[in-house]
Amino acid sequence: MNPNLPYNNAQTVTLAIIAVVLPFAAFVVNFLLLGKSKAAGWVSTLAIVASTVLAANVFFKVWGSHTIHLQQVWFTIGATKVQAGILLNNLSVMLLLLVPVIALPVHIYSTAYMKDDEGYSRYFSYLSLFCFSMLALVVADNLIMLYAFWELVGFSSYLLIGFWFTRQSAVIANKKAFIMNRIGDIGLLSAIIILFTQFGTFDLEALFGPKGLIALSNITNGQWVSASGSIPAVWQYVAFGGIFLAVAAKSAQFPLHTWLPDAMEGPTSVSALIHAATMVAAGVFLLGRVYPMFNDAELTVLAVVGCFTAFMAATIALTQNDLKRILAYSTISQLGFMVMAMGVGAYSSSLFHLATHAFFKCLLFLVAGIVIHQMKHIKDDNHLDIDPQNILHMGGLRKKLPVTFIAALIGGLALVGFPLTSGYLSKDGILIQAFDWSDNRAGILKLIPYVALFTSWLTAFYVARLIVKVFFGEFRLQKMNPHIHIHLGDGGWQYKVPLVFLALCCLFPLFSYSPVFYEDAWLYKGFLQANFFARENLYHVLIPVTVVILSVVVIYGAYVVYVKRNSWSFPQTGFLYRLSYHEWYIDKFYNRVIVAFILWLSKALYWFDKNIIDRFVNELEQVSRNIAGLAAWCDKYIVDGFLHLIANLVAAIGNFARRFQSGKIQYYLFSMLLVLIAVFIFKLIWT
Amino acid sequence: MIGLNDFMLVSVGLFCTGLFIIVSKKNAIQILIGIELMLNAAILNLVAFGKYDRMNNGGQMFALFAIVLAAATTAVALAIILNVYRKYKTINPDKVNQLKD
Repeated sequence: MNPNLPYNNAQTVTLAIIAVVLPFAAFVVNFLLLGKSKAAGWVSTLAIVASTVLAANVFFKVWGSHTIHLQQVWFTIGATKVQAGILLNNLSVMLLLLVPVIALPVHIYSTAYMKDDEGYSRYFSYLSLFCFSMLALVVADNLIMLYAFWELVGFSSYLLIGFWFTRQSAVIANKKAFIMNRIGDIGLLSAIIILFTQFGTFDLEALFGPKGLIALSNITNGQWVSASGSIPAVWQYVAFGGIFLAVAAKSAQFPLHTWLPDAMEGPTSVSALIHAATMVAAGVFLLGRVYPMFNDAELTVLAVVGCFTAFMAATIALTQNDLKRILAYSTISQLGFMVMAMGVGAYSSSLFHLATHAFFKCLLFLVAGIVIHQMKHIKDDNHLDIDPQNILHMGGLRKKLPVTFIAALIGGLALVGFPLTSGYLSKDGILIQAFDWSDNRAGILKLIPYVALFTSWLTAFYVARLIVKVFFGEFRLQKMNPHIHIHLGDGGWQYKVPLVFLALCCLFPLFSYSPVFYEDAWLYKGFLQANFFARENLYHVLIPVTVVILSVVVIYGAYVVYVKRNSWSFPQTGFLYRLSYHEWYIDKFYNRVIVAFILWLSKALYWFDKNIIDRFVNELEQVSRNIAGLAAWCDKYIVDGFLHLIANLVAAIGNFARRFQSGKIQYYLFSMLLVLIAVFIFKLIWT
Repeated sequence: MIGLNDFMLVSVGLFCTGLFIIVSKKNAIQILIGIELMLNAAILNLVAFGKYDRMNNGGQMFALFAIVLAAATTAVALAIILNVYRKYKTINPDKVNQLKD
């Protein structure tokens, strides 16, 4: 390592590395040593506790002060030296801390949640691997390592989504998640290759740093000019496309978002982790890492796609009945907000929202886990044939699950963006900056902030619907089956402690001393691109007020509709309802068009394989068999025949000769006589 | 007048008879008789050619010598035939073939 670095930095890097590697060590120990032991849960949890402590240490050393970048040569190909190392700047230490802080409650929760599962230790092995991949992803300092851990995150999520691999639906879901992610991986790989071709380095800081190669490159006359050469400008857009694909796949943006709702097949605690800190955060994190390479047009694409994703997912969440599916679509919607924020230049707001969203989404998923767990108990105890995730069976649970209810309320309000919660701070930041951004835009781009605003009301509605249906009113399952035996409860401390911890983290004091002004959040101070601080116009007052007032109205409306239900209910037959209920028919479209096309293509290729290639091979085989037959015939009748002829000749001579050795003395005499006579006859003839 | 040719013809007849007996008979005693016949043909020749010898009675002497020799060999041959009979219980020379491969 570089000896010139101060001792202090080296120590920080060591701590960071230990924090990253500890979950991996837990994975190895669990996987190799513990087998089916229940100790696995505590090994993983202890590892993540230690990671949290170390990451916090690193965070407070690095945050806001300086960037630590330590690297050494990994391998050399020709003249290219590839460095491997650790890059700790504000962005990476924020996620370095966020990931274990979210993962810790999930681990504690899981020790109770997965208690009776057969795959208990396997579950914790995977969970540790997942945390390790994500932690390593955020501290990687070059694109190759980033890509490797990017893949590893995808792979470990694949393992966890298909955790209950005996269920057909889980297998289909994890296959889908994996294939979707592969599409993104191809994008990221091509972007990395293009960047390397253009700049000749994989180093993130050298590429994207303040004085990095990207900052110094520019596009002139259709050429992308950098210090080391120039290539046509189209490649810059291709690289952006690749990055965008990668982000869309990992962070579930519009064309590639369909895997996330299906990923609900995994255990709920895994969903909490995937949706909060590990998997989907990777896409936004990647955007944050490579942010300097985007030009104005590309940022606009991000804004449009993010906005559309947010809107679409929110409309879908309105009508879903599966508890986890609603939350999944709300995650997609919030991720859309983050991507849109990146697109409108609200870099720090985006990352701020990533952090706040991690807490409240994790909280909501843990709540969902408890509710589903209880419903499943009821189902198993009474042998009912119901879907434990269907919110239509729930209701009135607030008295039976008080802690869960409070937690859900706080998480839901944070998701809506109510004052006093963290979600308020981050979401308003995004909305305000979106309005600021659209002031300088024309045409349809003006619509983006309004769509985002509308989406946040939709968010308020579906959150209200969710909470009202689950926790208010009367318990519909009991109403339908009055005789069922019910005993419900919040569960042990492993359930309550994570909920309380996360609920506290969803409130504003963690992020800002001021509950109203998002600009005061300390997270903003860490990121350079935060340049919308001045409260220069009306938006800064108007938007939060509008959001809050209308949200309250919407929530009250939802409450009236779903609890009182005396005046009016939503029609369930209209086109919009069906569009939303069937998730905009996107999955159906993919199945009909893309999957069908690929199936057709593979069938065609199969036919080609079978009828052309195989036939050719068979013909070839036939020809060679014939040649071989000919050779065999030659061998048998010519080569062998010749040898047999010689052998037979010798045998014949031998047989002929042995007749003279018959042992009959008279025969010998007769032979002698004949020879003698012959000699005389010859003599007579020749003389 | 009986000339040399007549002797020779008798001698050839004897020799051929002896040879035929040797080749064709299946009895060792008869073969021995055949041998004797051939020997006698030779002795007859010796006597017949003796007339033309420069030394008187040289042929007759040699013939007597050969007769004695023939008697001796016949004795030996008979002894061999006796032993063969003891060993093989037969005197058919075709059956006495243990030396063959």
